Amino acid sequence: MQELEVKPETVESVGAELREVPIEPMNYVFGRIMEILTIVGLIAMFIPGIIYVITGKGFLSREIVVKYWGLKASAFWQKVMGIKVFGYSWFLNHLGTMDCLSILGVCILAVTPLICLIGAEIKADSKYKILIGILIIEFLFAIARPILMGH
Amino acid sequence: MIWWMWVLALFFMTLGIGIVAPIAGVGGGVLFTPLTMAFYPFSTDFIRGAGLVMAMTSALSSAPHFAKKGLANLRILAPVVVVSIIFSILGGIIGLWVTNAFPQGKSYIKIGLGCILFVVFLVYLFSKRVEFPQITHIDPISEKLDIHGAWYEPSLGKVVEYRTTNLLIALPAFAGVGFIAGMFGLGAGWANVPVLNLVMGAPLKVATSTSMMIITINDAAACWVYMARGAMLALIIVPSVLGITIGARIGARIAVKSRPKSIKYLVMVIMLFAAVMDIWKGLHGLGMAPPI
Repeated sequence: MQELEVKPETVESVGAELREVPIEPMNYVFGRIMEILTIVGLIAMFIPGIIYVITGKGFLSREIVVKYWGLKASAFWQKVMGIKVFGYSWFLNHLGTMDCLSILGVCILAVTPLICLIGAEIKADSKYKILIGILIIEFLFAIARPILMGH
Repeated sequence: MIWWMWVLALFFMTLGIGIVAPIAGVGGGVLFTPLTMAFYPFSTDFIRGAGLVMAMTSALSSAPHFAKKGLANLRILAPVVVVSIIFSILGGIIGLWVTNAFPQGKSYIKIGLGCILFVVFLVYLFSKRVEFPQITHIDPISEKLDIHGAWYEPSLGKVVEYRTTNLLIALPAFAGVGFIAGMFGLGAGWANVPVLNLVMGAPLKVATSTSMMIITINDAAACWVYMARGAMLALIIVPSVLGITIGARIGARIAVKSRPKSIKYLVMVIMLFAAVMDIWKGLHGLGMAPPI
């Protein structure tokens, strides 16, 4: 293990008079995209989600969900819809319903870091272009895995 | 209990978690998942799915602010998340496989989560935090990757520059953290921060902020695993995330004014209680303990 000497009282600082620190473009872009998409995702999740919770009208009826929400996910879908879920069609095919629209909001939130990484990669230097590129591929794999592997 | 009472109870519980978590300095997910598993009738699959969405949403809401201030740093994040994201996905896959492949899978998950909570409790109790660690040597990989950063620290009236080290030692730790996050539906800031701060030598504010950024990526990747298995129900996710989103805003305002130690101790007692309840319920599910 590399030596890591801890001296809580001492601070290495430079530019004491400066208040403005130039923020690295890749960090700034990452943060800015995340800020915007998070708001979009939260709105997309909350508005239909609240309507669904209040009215109970959705792809899955509220009463049915309540009856079987103690079952493990595979048994729940088998019991409620008679299907085996693997992939995203269970909500993407029913976007006219409020509960599935709400899950689409979750999708927007869950894809936000990927879009931030893509934005940051454009601004990154060559070493970090490679690292962020690997991250993007891994993230894409996480999304596409059910479609590619089919189980 | 009528269904809407569960939904309301979920909303008020997460509202409470949202308020006390910033005051106590803990993440919301580490309280939500074990408490919901211990006291609510939902399946562990749906709870972990909701826990991930909750931890991810909380991190997504705060990380941009830190990134634009220079505190959350992609230079630190990129090399560690390259490893942790794989383990986060793997954790999600194995976590769902355990509950769906074994008749008593949910009991194993509850016992596992209870044990993890004991570790979290010990981490909070004993791990020291160092505001500005001094680094004497930088490992060759960190040097090559030029991991550095700077931010203006108002309490010092100075710009603080920093570098990090021990990247290779930190990588296995982040792999484990990613796995636990995916498997149990946690944010795992409790583990990220000490590794970033004490092992890699990142200043505490940088460690906390970069941990938020790491959670956004790890938990988002694991979210896709749960979504692909249908382990997400709007009826559970919406009140939970709404509650913690409102609560966190209230909690953050209170935390700026005062952070009484009593709240931290209260949260730790709740955490310990939830750990005991989860283990007990898990053992009961295996027929090894009487019902509570």
